[in-house]
Amino acid sequence: MNNNVFQAESIKRGLVLDPRTKLLLLVTMSVFVLSSAGGKGLEFLAPCLCIVPFVLLLTSKKFKSTILYAIIYLTAIMMLILLRPITNGVVNFLILGTAGIVTRFMPSIMVGMYVLSTTTVSEFNAAMLRLNVSEKIIIPLSVMFRFFPTVLDEFSSINAAMRMRGISLGGKNVTKMLEYRLVPLLTCSVKIGEELSAAALTRGLGGNVKRTNVCEIGFHLQDMVIIFLCFVPFALMLLSRCGIL
Amino acid sequence: MKNERLKGKDLINVGIFTAIYFVIVFAVSMLGYIPIFMPLLCVIVPVLGGIPFMLFLTKVKKSGMIFIMSIIMGILMLLTGMGYYSIVVGAISGIIAELIFKSGSYKNATRAVITSGVFSIWVWGNYIPLFLNIEGYFSTRQGYGQEYISALTSLMPAWMCPVLLGSAFISGIFGGLLGKAILKKHFKKAGIA
Repeated sequence: MNNNVFQAESIKRGLVLDPRTKLLLLVTMSVFVLSSAGGKGLEFLAPCLCIVPFVLLLTSKKFKSTILYAIIYLTAIMMLILLRPITNGVVNFLILGTAGIVTRFMPSIMVGMYVLSTTTVSEFNAAMLRLNVSEKIIIPLSVMFRFFPTVLDEFSSINAAMRMRGISLGGKNVTKMLEYRLVPLLTCSVKIGEELSAAALTRGLGGNVKRTNVCEIGFHLQDMVIIFLCFVPFALMLLSRCGIL
Repeated sequence: MKNERLKGKDLINVGIFTAIYFVIVFAVSMLGYIPIFMPLLCVIVPVLGGIPFMLFLTKVKKSGMIFIMSIIMGILMLLTGMGYYSIVVGAISGIIAELIFKSGSYKNATRAVITSGVFSIWVWGNYIPLFLNIEGYFSTRQGYGQEYISALTSLMPAWMCPVLLGSAFISGIFGGLLGKAILKKHFKKAGIA
């Protein structure tokens, strides 16, 4: 049950991107793929942008996820193109729905996974400090990103335990099902949180001095390429809003 | 104690509870794909979110923590493609929630329940695009198919907008009460509330 996909390892990494570039990419993906802000005229952008996580995952040497992503995404696209005209009613609703959700969420989830699995907390902190974000936002954010895998991990363990006791979906009592999951989850999260803050305090978090950071971040050629890629859709959107395109 | 600056420990608490809160919200929001659940999310999210939120409030002793949590939820909604309205709504409701809880000097249980109600209003921010520009909203969601769109359009007439705002608040209060009951039943005994 080890959720290693989310934890960054600093040793075997391929192409290194600046955390700020990754954030820009995440926002771009969420604006153009997840909520397709470009509207009808820019619909072609979404599939183009979906190639980006594919390439990024390849460069970070996550071959398994790359192949899985490619297969699932291509299947969903094929379903959308081939099955849309020949089905109707409930079948159409189900197929289009599933494929629609996959094509919408999958790329952003992959970019999110890429960002989480290749950025260490220190790098994230360094990047946010460079952006002059207040420490009051940085600390909760970095704790949160560090904490997601823990919550999911704990949740799946609790889930397994509760299933063994026969308290699951389809059981008699829905409120019981929720209570018996949420309460242990909260209890152990609070305990882990206390340990985490103790650990952070020993590293000088919350002191009065300015903390330093050893991570070297900066923009390189690969960052320039990605940043350029991210600006293209925004520029296109601006142009189409002005009525030029 | 009251006017002290936020320390690392407080900020870490904010991060932890936001993570739990977000995981619950995200899991529940997946139901939104079924059209009838879309307006109901405004009820389910605050009720379930009330449980971690009330536990969070027991850790809040300084001003700013609720506001920061509200802002971070807004940022997360932006990153998960819900639009930027949640940040604006979250900032306002976060400040109001903060002030309400502060007026009870961070320990009044009744005020905590009301705080939970006001805080939950950020959920409503996610619906604003639906009412401002419904054609524009659905032109970006063609992939879901025509059936989904027509089902959702019939569920979301303009008068739903204030109704959703009200129901977010009321179910937030309900979630607060639920959270309080669970706090009493479990967490006080375990010594973590």
